[in-house]
Amino acid sequence: MQPPRSFGQTAPALPITEDEYEKFYEYFYRRTGISFSGKKEYFVEKRLQERIAKTGSDSFKAYFTLLRFQASGEELQHLVNLMTVNETYFFREDYQFDALVRGILPEITRTRRPGGTLRIWSMPCSTGEEPYSIAIQILEYWARADEFAIEITGSDIDSRVLADARKGVYGNRSLQRLSPELRKKYFRRIGDDQFEIHEELRSSIEFSIANLSDPIHMHRYRAMDVIFCRNLLIYFDDTSRRAAVEALYECLSPGGFICLGHSESMSRMSSMFLPRKFGDTIVYQRPIEQD
Amino acid sequence: MPPKPGLEPGNAAVALKKPTPAPKADAAPPKADLAVLTAALAAPESGERRRAARELGAFPEAGPLLCAHLAAEPAASVRAVILTTLIRIKSPAVVEGLLPLLRSEDSALRNAAIEALQEMSAEVEPYVGDLLADPDSDVRILTVNMLSQLPHPKAPDWLAEVVARDAHINVCAAAVDGLAEIGNERAVAPLQALAARFPDVPFIRFAAAAAIRRIGGS
Repeated sequence: MQPPRSFGQTAPALPITEDEYEKFYEYFYRRTGISFSGKKEYFVEKRLQERIAKTGSDSFKAYFTLLRFQASGEELQHLVNLMTVNETYFFREDYQFDALVRGILPEITRTRRPGGTLRIWSMPCSTGEEPYSIAIQILEYWARADEFAIEITGSDIDSRVLADARKGVYGNRSLQRLSPELRKKYFRRIGDDQFEIHEELRSSIEFSIANLSDPIHMHRYRAMDVIFCRNLLIYFDDTSRRAAVEALYECLSPGGFICLGHSESMSRMSSMFLPRKFGDTIVYQRPIEQD
Repeated sequence: MPPKPGLEPGNAAVALKKPTPAPKADAAPPKADLAVLTAALAAPESGERRRAARELGAFPEAGPLLCAHLAAEPAASVRAVILTTLIRIKSPAVVEGLLPLLRSEDSALRNAAIEALQEMSAEVEPYVGDLLADPDSDVRILTVNMLSQLPHPKAPDWLAEVVARDAHINVCAAAVDGLAEIGNERAVAPLQALAARFPDVPFIRFAAAAAIRRIGGS
């Protein structure tokens, strides 16, 4: 995952008209699925101005032409990286965790005998907040949790973040969305701004390195029931994204589900999955029937 | 959502079972040859056909074969992998294999062909003139839709040419839509003239004016 960015723009801002913004919003949405409301104009302008300056464009029009017609798509990727906020914390986009225990797991287990295994994969898991959140959500809110052997794996391409995930020590900022009860139940304070996740929970999750673009690597991960692959595919170019989605398809059991980030839409990437709605959340299912 | 009763603090291991570590990545398996992979495209298992379609990416000469198989392949998942492989191979032979699919009765297949062609702008260029002169207006509309998203510097001029010359109103309307996003100053005059070419169609006047405004003209 990418580090937070800083903005060092010094060149005077070039004017961007309302029509140009509208044109940009449409294009950016079509290419990435990321939609900006009027409230985010400053956010967008700041980043657009930064890229206009960095690319040496003398107007928005010149920059948009570069963005639109560059065959490599490199500039679009720069812009995507700037426009996406990359931070992780416990229970980020928690509506998907609600969908997991209210809809996805009940559906998957409807035809399974108690005692069977459920496999959940958090990829990329960064420093571990996501797989631990999944575990807590299941333990706290899924009534049938005790009936199944639930295996949670967290993977990332970056071995440094995996080491942090295994350590399971977080600051207040990461834990901001956890209730005091859950903090008390699953964490132990070990410093002023340091909370260590309960040993039993920490040792229940397997952390492993995985590269989504490496078919040999990906071949190790099979028969997953649910994959959380959030806010990763937006960083891939179109062709790599297609290949990555196909690799994830192979990792899922038939009927398994994949959860993407809120700004990502599978229908823009592939027709292999069926969109499914659980509450307000759309997730994607590998068809049950072998097609 | 209220917590469910019954779980005691520190009782995580009751439900969670640590997965067995994934086995170490094997060395790359020996590559199958072209004949074996070609035969595997006819395998009854869709997973086997996907694997073959993926590995055929190592053989650029398999492009035409994959294009032909695309039209006959029943499984959406295999079609998706074939498209990705074709995009990776990206050659004039692939373009020639995909173009006939624009005339397919199957809309999913037509859209798949467009999706792949959009990713091969340099390879598509030599065929654009013929496509825009195709007697079938549906083929011209699909071509215009493809050009509207093609990362090619000539795309705005191709669309402006359509607006200036194509006799079919739906082809022109599709080109106006495209120009609203990618058009430049050179498209303004053909867009202004378009309303005069179709004086009985208020929608065209409205759409052309909107496109001109987007482009930044008067």
